[in-house]
This record gives sequence, structure tokens and C-alpha cells, in this order.
Amino acid sequence: MNQQSSKLQAKDLITVGIFTAIYFVIFLACAMLGFIPIFLLAMTFYGPVITGIPFMLYLTKAKKFGMVTITAVICGILMFVFGMGYFTMITALICGLAADFILKAGDYSSKKNTTLAYAVYSVWFIGNYIPLYLTRESYFASLVSGYGQEYVDTLRAYTPGWMFLVLLAACFIGGLIGAALGKAVLKKHFVRAGIV
Amino acid sequence: MTVIHPILALVPFVLLLFSRRVKAAVCYMIAYAAAYSMISFVMPATSGIISILIGATAGIIYRMMPSLITGYFVVNTTKVSEFNAAMEHMHVSTKITIPMSVMFRFFPTIKEESSAIKDAMHMRGISSLRNPMEMLEYRLVPLLMSVVKIGEELSISALTRGLSVDIKRTNICKIGFHFPDLVCFLLCIVCWICFVLHMGGIV
Repeated sequence: MNQQSSKLQAKDLITVGIFTAIYFVIFLACAMLGFIPIFLLAMTFYGPVITGIPFMLYLTKAKKFGMVTITAVICGILMFVFGMGYFTMITALICGLAADFILKAGDYSSKKNTTLAYAVYSVWFIGNYIPLYLTRESYFASLVSGYGQEYVDTLRAYTPGWMFLVLLAACFIGGLIGAALGKAVLKKHFVRAGIV
Repeated sequence: MTVIHPILALVPFVLLLFSRRVKAAVCYMIAYAAAYSMISFVMPATSGIISILIGATAGIIYRMMPSLITGYFVVNTTKVSEFNAAMEHMHVSTKITIPMSVMFRFFPTIKEESSAIKDAMHMRGISSLRNPMEMLEYRLVPLLMSVVKIGEELSISALTRGLSVDIKRTNICKIGFHFPDLVCFLLCIVCWICFVLHMGGIV
């Protein structure tokens, strides 16, 4: 077992699995609030803020290229399985790769780069909202059968075209705040406990 | 659409029955039927905020439950080694399958740890949502600590069992593509084709 190897070992893959599981469970717990129409949109902001804590801990363990990408791909696949559309898989792959490159540029230790990488990574979630805009009419039509006309009308009123950019920015800013929160918690608890 | 959805929703029900998980199957069917009838009969008669509430709660069950239950079926009836063997047959990279199998193993652990921590914090009087930041800190941090510890142990135990060797692994699981698989596969393909035709406006 060569610890210096930059290729992904089984040990790294297990780490990916553990942290992806925690990340996704917390993420899903946040998403459960989405049945209130306004929370569905606010999710882009508070989701990244809360999941910043597990993700910052994850980044202290992820020191090799590809780990964040795998996390993103798995999140994308799971979102697809949950019926959020196939766009998420594409955005997840792009954001995961971008985050990985940013981390690599900072040699996986630069504090500035981890913050930026998490903010970029958080943008993957925007994939769930792309159907709202790209295939707007058919998406709303498909929602009517499940959620009813009133819910759809409310959702439509909340999501004019420019809202997409707001959501995008919310993901990113939420990511920045989440990273700061995660680092604070990391410093307060995990470093002291010797986990990091 | 109104026909395809219930047909596909029946798939996990039948699968659960065949694998003798009658209680889960019946619970699922009752919840689904309730949501379905709420949407088709009660909702058209209401309006305003009530309609939104019904749409949101019943809609989540109606849209999410079938896929969640299918996931429950997969996780509950597939052993981790079976999953790995099947994925290997399908030539899926271990870079995806190892994290995935660790995740399947971990979801129940996270649930257990989380409820234990909930009880512990309840005893210390930290249970209200009045102070969300405090809740977040006192619930999330211990959870992360314990899960990371368990993860490290799991990682070591997997390595001692030779997960990191490069040669091809063998296993004794009997897996393969059989007649029931073919039936499920064809049923889903037919439904999917109908769905695409429907979206295209042909049917």
C-alpha cells in the first residue's frame, strides 16, 4: 500500500462512500422541507449552508483527484433515481470536476481553494431546477397530475425567468457561507477532538 | 399518463410481495392509494391554501413513494456482495461501486446513530427548534464524529478482507438475468415507450 500514490485506492473509495452517505442524508433532510412551495426555492440557499459542515470535514480527508467528482456523480445518479430529471447528472459531473480542479490547484490544502471549491460544488443542485426553465410547459403540465393546479400556479408565480440566475447565485453564496460555517465548526469541534 | 403511473407503482408492490415483505408492501399500497384518491377526488373539490397543502403532501407521496419503495426493495433484498458481483458483471467501475456499496451499508447506521443522539440530547433538554443553530450543532457534530469513527473501522475491516488487491475477485453469489427479470424489464420498457409517445403528443 503506497500512501503517496495519487491514484484512488480502495481506502479512498470507502471514504468517498461514507461522506457521500452523510452528505446525502443531511441534504435529503433539508430537501424534505421542499413541500412548501417557497422552501423549494429557498433550498438552494439553506441546503448548501447546512451541508457545508459535513462537506468541509470531507475535504480534510479528500486529498486525491476524483473523490469530489465521484461524490457529485453519485449524488446526481441518486437525484435521477428520485425523479428529479437527468439534467442533475450533467450539472453534478461538471460542478464536481470543476471543484476537483480547484482543489488540485490549491494542492488540497489551500483554505481559499476549499471554500471556492465547495461553493462551485454546491451549484450542482441547480440541475434540479433546469426542467423548470428549459422544458417549462411540459414540466408544469407533468406536475399538475401530482401536485394540483394551485401548487403549480404558485410555483409558476415564484419562478419568472430571471429567478434562475438568483437561484444560481443563491447556490454559490450559500456554498460560501456553508464553507465558512463548516470551517468554524471544524475548528471548534473536530480539530480539538482529533478527528481531523 | 393516468394509467401508466399506477401500473409502474404496482411493480415495487409485487416485488415486495414476492420477497415476503408483506407488511411493507401493504403499507406502501395503502399510502399510495390514499394519495392517489386524494389527488383525483378530493383535490378538484378544494381551492386556495387547502388545495396547495393537499397537493404538496399527497403529491410528494404520489410522485416519490414508488421510487423510494423501489430503492427500499433494492437495499433490503440485495446483499452488498451480490450488488458488487452484479455491478462487476455489468462492467461498472469499482470507483462507483465501492462508494455505492459503502453508502448502502451506511444509511441504516446513520439512522441508528441519529436516533441515539436524538435521545441523548433530549435527556439534556436540547430538543426544541427554538434555537436552530444550537440544534444543528448539537445534533450534527456528534453524528459526524460517530459516523466518521465507524467509517474508519469499516475501512480497516474491508482492507483486511482484501478489498484493495488488484486481482479479479471471485464470489459465490448466484446472480444472472432470468425470466422474472425479463418480465420486469419488458414491462418497464413498454411503459417508458408509452410515456415518450405521450410526451411527443402521439398517444
